[in-house]
Amino acid sequence: MTLSYILGRIISAIPTILLLTFMVFISIHLVPGNVIDIMMGTQNYLSEEQVQELTAELGLDQPIIVQYFKWLKGLFTFDLGTSLRTGEPVSQMIADKFPITFELALMSIIFSLLIGIPFGLISSVKQNTPWDYSFRVLGLVGLSAPVFWIGAIFIVLISGTFTNYTLFGFVPFLKEPLKNLQIMLIPAITLGIMIAAQIMRMTRNSMLDVLSQDYVKVAKAKGLKGSKVIFKHALRNGMIPVVTTAGIQLGYLIGGTIVVESMFAIPGMGRMLLDAVNQRNYPVVQGVVAFIGIMIVLLNILIDILYSIIDPRIKLTD
Amino acid sequence: MKKSLFFGLVLVLLVSFTFSNGILKFAIETEPVGLDPHQVTAFASHRILENVYDGLLRYDENMQLIANLAESYEVKDAYTVVFTLRNDVYFHDGTKMTADDVIFSFERITDPDFGSPAASYYADVESIKVVGEKNIEFKLKTPSVNALLPNFAGVNSAIVSKAFVESGKNMQLETNGTGPFAIADYEAGNYISLVKNDKYYMAGLPKLDELRFIIIPKEVSRVSALKNGDVDISKLNEPLSLNMLTNGFSIYRQPVLSYYLLGINNDVAPLNDPKVRRALSYAVNREMIIKMVGFGEGTITGIMNPTVKAWAVPVDEEFSYNPAKAKQLLAEAGYPNGFEFSITVSAKYNFDKIAQALQAQFASVGVKANLDMVEWGIFIKKWKEKDFDSFVSLNSGSVSPDKQLFRTFETNGSTNKFNYSNTKVDELLVEGRTTTEYEARHEIYNELQEILIQDSPILFLYSPNNLYASQKDVQGFQPMSNESLISLRFVSVE
Repeated sequence: MTLSYILGRIISAIPTILLLTFMVFISIHLVPGNVIDIMMGTQNYLSEEQVQELTAELGLDQPIIVQYFKWLKGLFTFDLGTSLRTGEPVSQMIADKFPITFELALMSIIFSLLIGIPFGLISSVKQNTPWDYSFRVLGLVGLSAPVFWIGAIFIVLISGTFTNYTLFGFVPFLKEPLKNLQIMLIPAITLGIMIAAQIMRMTRNSMLDVLSQDYVKVAKAKGLKGSKVIFKHALRNGMIPVVTTAGIQLGYLIGGTIVVESMFAIPGMGRMLLDAVNQRNYPVVQGVVAFIGIMIVLLNILIDILYSIIDPRIKLTD
Repeated sequence: MKKSLFFGLVLVLLVSFTFSNGILKFAIETEPVGLDPHQVTAFASHRILENVYDGLLRYDENMQLIANLAESYEVKDAYTVVFTLRNDVYFHDGTKMTADDVIFSFERITDPDFGSPAASYYADVESIKVVGEKNIEFKLKTPSVNALLPNFAGVNSAIVSKAFVESGKNMQLETNGTGPFAIADYEAGNYISLVKNDKYYMAGLPKLDELRFIIIPKEVSRVSALKNGDVDISKLNEPLSLNMLTNGFSIYRQPVLSYYLLGINNDVAPLNDPKVRRALSYAVNREMIIKMVGFGEGTITGIMNPTVKAWAVPVDEEFSYNPAKAKQLLAEAGYPNGFEFSITVSAKYNFDKIAQALQAQFASVGVKANLDMVEWGIFIKKWKEKDFDSFVSLNSGSVSPDKQLFRTFETNGSTNKFNYSNTKVDELLVEGRTTTEYEARHEIYNELQEILIQDSPILFLYSPNNLYASQKDVQGFQPMSNESLISLRFVSVE
């Protein structure tokens, strides 16, 4: 049952991903200036014939639609092409960069859950008390502060106060786990603050909703301890919207860590995508976008499965 | 057991301490795009590769051209130059550099199918051949050896290993040079680690064991990394950053040859009138722009950079701020009430800020400049297709008047996108190239600069200072006016 559901979901996601890659393909090709223009900059050292030759060599002289189908054909054989700048296989580039971005995204989500759920819970249980008000104000601040600002504040504060704290000079987790975690911590918090605020609000609203339901009142009426009511009866049901938010945010983070990766000099996929767009490195842009699309689809399926675990009343059917 | 563990730990610490003495961590903004010395054009690639690859000649710290992989060179006549190769140069893979490698390198550069940016430098070369065992002779079709020589100093003219290239390596990803450092490790987006070349031909160099370029895209992050010791040295793009580095750091200021310019489309009315262009030039307060945009870190530049004393004609009067004269010239040209035109600009290297300053200054003489803000890729396309009234950009300069002026102002010059064409200028440019005697060349280039001042085909604005900051223990770093980082071979960390 579950398996056929997952399979169905995957098949139904294929048109979405195709549409996504097609739209990205068209739009990036419609932006003026191609990879050769940008490579030469204002140096202009190639003759018109040489430019044409190079264009043909890179396959850029063919109609866009032909180029797209060529790329698509490659996709089905797991060949994402090679970087127009260096000749490195795109699949290899993604394999190198994805784990870094994923680690960053995961750390931010964990941070935001650790902050967001308890704060939201307290806010809902102590509704309309000073606790509730302060957390709500904090949440509003977290939601409103842009990531680049929070990042800059952290960088300046830390380099001014903790002069021995290593903020820059990324090392992979498998090489030096402690140093890696130290370097990733601040970027993860920077990204996580806004999500923590969202999760806090979501938890609060959802818990208020659950806490006002009859079965909770019954539980209270039969004399159960307040903590038991909340943790045993209410929290689990209140978590469904929170899981949805966290899942959507994780997907968003996988594609949206560009700013933080640039600020903290983390060599992740977001920065690779940004550079590729600036250089009109079409195969890299395509490859990364398709990859992100597929990851988000898989994540959504994963969230659906999580629902059924959290709330056994939810069944996965086609 | 515990004791031995402790001593082991101490040993590891000691070893890492001694090693870290020889490491320089250099924060850079952008990472190189490709590593093939004969293909790269990106500034970032040049800065890395000039430490990995060497050419026959190089510039010393005073911007004098000196022998490098060539032991010496001799200009036989205006058509001929002969290089004598050193006998003690090795590639990083341990093989010895031979005359074959040199010939192969130049064949590779000039191969029209290969499309090297340096190919045009050698367009006038008729033949390259080995004379004796270690002499390479370049023979030219035109008497232009003066124009040829500076080209031998750049990364684009580096000597590569014939065997290495022919083995089918992807030169954009793998390197094998003769320079002081070899690339040991490159993690895209993160860092590039260069290690000492033990067989480097200059005795005792390089002084560092490892040179590690760490890619940190944001200025605030580079400055912070410097402050908490994550890096040893960094370039500063914003003069304001100096305020964050008030004590405990060495600051380096280097006026550079690159210059900001207002490129003008000389075909579009009313900008096709030299009087109008000169009026615009007088309307510009260059001092003020340097103060506003560069926070004082810059120098007004003439047609040649003022630091190139051998050639530069002073421009104090002509490039001064004189709104009355600007208005008078505009009236003479038939625009007493000014006119309207557009400045195409991209938000890069302060171009947008300079354009805004220009806009305000032109307004004060009644000329309305509309800013056309575009993304960098679009800018390049417009530049290439000459689709603009004017634009703000940064041109790389040179100590050689031929290099500085020919490509920029010759009618078909590769970077003359200004539709500028003056027969007299073209003649003088060719004459300058083919004259060998210094006095005669001097006269030619003086006349040329005078014409360019009167014609004002573009507005020369200013040359920024390059700023670097390092920890105090970094010794021997010397930035250069061509922005080269080849002095890193002399740097040590005390």
